[in-house]
Amino acid sequence: MTAVFAPAEVRRRPAFSLGRWLEREGVFSWLMVALPVAFLVLMVGYPFFYGIWLSLQDRPVAKPGVFIGLANFVNDWHDPVFRQVVVNTFVYTIAATLLKMVGGLGLALVMNQDFRFKNLTRALLLLPFIVPTVLSTIAWQWILDPAFSVINWALKVADIADPGPSWLGNPHLAMFSLIMVNTWRGLPFYAITLLAGLQTISPELYEAATIDGAGRWTRFRYVTLPLLKPVIFIVTMFSVIFTFSDFQLIYVLTRGGPANATHVFATYAFDVAMGAGQFGQGASIALSMVPPLALIILAMAIYMRSEKS
Amino acid sequence: MRVSSRQSRRVFLQRTALGTAGALLSPAIARAQPKSLTMMHESSFVPPYDAFFKNKLAAAYEKLTGIKVNYDVVSVGSLLTRVTTAAENSSGPDMTAIGFNWAFLFDDKFLDVSDIAAEIGKESGGWYDSAQESVVVNGKWKAIPFGNIGQLMNWRTDWFKQAGYDKFPDTWDELLEAGIKLKKAGHPFGFELGHGFGDNHGWLYPLLWSYGGREVEADGKTIVIDSDETARAIDFCRKFFKETMFEDVLGWTDVNNNKAFLSEQISCTNNAESILWSAKKDFPDMAKVIDQSENPKGPKGRFHMLNPLCHSIFTHTKDQKAAKDFLRWLMAPPQAGAWYDVAVTYYQPFLHAYDDAPMWKVEPRNLPYRDALKTAHLPGWPAPLSRAQSESVAKFVVVDMFAKACAGKSTKDVIADAQAQLKQIYKQA
Repeated sequence: MTAVFAPAEVRRRPAFSLGRWLEREGVFSWLMVALPVAFLVLMVGYPFFYGIWLSLQDRPVAKPGVFIGLANFVNDWHDPVFRQVVVNTFVYTIAATLLKMVGGLGLALVMNQDFRFKNLTRALLLLPFIVPTVLSTIAWQWILDPAFSVINWALKVADIADPGPSWLGNPHLAMFSLIMVNTWRGLPFYAITLLAGLQTISPELYEAATIDGAGRWTRFRYVTLPLLKPVIFIVTMFSVIFTFSDFQLIYVLTRGGPANATHVFATYAFDVAMGAGQFGQGASIALSMVPPLALIILAMAIYMRSEKS
Repeated sequence: MRVSSRQSRRVFLQRTALGTAGALLSPAIARAQPKSLTMMHESSFVPPYDAFFKNKLAAAYEKLTGIKVNYDVVSVGSLLTRVTTAAENSSGPDMTAIGFNWAFLFDDKFLDVSDIAAEIGKESGGWYDSAQESVVVNGKWKAIPFGNIGQLMNWRTDWFKQAGYDKFPDTWDELLEAGIKLKKAGHPFGFELGHGFGDNHGWLYPLLWSYGGREVEADGKTIVIDSDETARAIDFCRKFFKETMFEDVLGWTDVNNNKAFLSEQISCTNNAESILWSAKKDFPDMAKVIDQSENPKGPKGRFHMLNPLCHSIFTHTKDQKAAKDFLRWLMAPPQAGAWYDVAVTYYQPFLHAYDDAPMWKVEPRNLPYRDALKTAHLPGWPAPLSRAQSESVAKFVVVDMFAKACAGKSTKDVIADAQAQLKQIYKQA
């Protein structure tokens, strides 16, 4: 539209027009990102760098901080609970993510079939994801309480065990229970995202493969899986980040007990920073999450790239 | 310097305002008092307690002075976070409820209230010694103690009787004996050994102390957890756990023992008055066979957990005198007495004037809570208030020492763990 008037404007030095200036690609693109960037800097960047600053100080609550370099991190390294927290977090993340990946893929494949009440089932599937974590976790608290647990009740009725296992009292079972609850909550996210990915795969590819004599498994292995890989990668990355930094679920169910068997980075950092009032130490624990998380994501990205080429 | 410049500005403003107002309007503008004060409190287990402040006390004070007092209730467990936020930002409520060693943690941010503490003590029969343990920092009162939310033994009289006990056992060893019989009869004990806020510390610190074990010496420096006394307490605890309880207690948080007791799964636990309170409301028949007793004695005496609720004034409050005046008024017998009454001894007064108050006769089974005040201490005792003390509690050093032993680790190993943690916490190589 502006092009029509262009010849007339060549003669005179063009008057400044805000509209035209805004339409320049260099300006417009920056304008579009300015808001998100400002948001990120304020809500993510500032706390992140403030966290780094805190982690380098001895900073008790309500007192000015004293710069102490990396002493907090050295302290963490020598703290036996911190080491346990590292192991716990990895066990929790790896187990829960794998379960969610396999379960989510299976669920997505089932949901991708045609059956009655398909849409209703898909909607219901999202329920664990929609219900606020704290609420659903309180329901789990009852399910995992040996005296009231439906599981223990079933075991008792079936004459297998009485009173049955202590889901949150036994250190190993407590970790197992938390992994299960996390999987339950995260599965729908996996399933729905993978389902969306599945639906983008053209049916013609399956037809072609079938004509070439591919069976169910071969079609899954050589058509579905390769095409779904980018989606799996993205969901897994998200899931790893969320699981690694999980807080609510653990805080409601065990608060890190019994005897630190389920303490993870986020819960331990919170206890040290808010409970003990040691902001610097707490920040250093929370920040210790960053390097392993970055490494995992980097490794996944490299793996994906090598797969592509 | 800042204060004086601010004051002079205020004086200037006041004078200007007065002059202008006097010239133009009416002379009634001179009141420099704030229009409102805000008190922050954690939601009480006893709902009428919160309602009484909002509806009765605040209204009475507004009628008396024209100052509106807001009562800001925060959810259970979030008070420390809220106090931290207010103190760090120097904004928010004028006064707050506090507990444990917060008077020390927020020393710089709380007003010295020694003067009104002295007046209140004089007026109401003097303070209990334990009151001072949590609020006096460097010789100054940084909070006015209100009441202790004590932790005692809650037990089922009917089942204990069946096992041959008319009275609550006087020593830990006798309690163990009773527990073995009761567990065999299908009524195990249930004491929290997990990561709750209070019901774990509530009996494990007193247990440690009653065997003579301590984390730190009174100097606040020398770590003495590695002792024969500690070892004996741990050995006892392991036996106590194995022979009277069940595995789930290791994962309990504070709700579990109430739930287990009220659903008749356990015959004895350590808790505040909340179990009897709930039972009277919801299970009146069970309430008749519940009793509460002081903690058992160990070889080195009898101990209890100090769990005080106190009131502090933030230094950022606009009118410090107004806040002090309010606290002073609040703690005078007509007000404080009525407020204690509403909660019927759920908050045990730290003032001797209430030792024989009528509320103790309303529910005589609560009397041991009053007596327990004499032997109550904060975690970290006998060391003075410190940040390390908070860190040890937040890291569950003592709780986990016992819990790990109950889960099967050797006494030597769990003491070594606790010792290593305490050395780090108390900043010693």
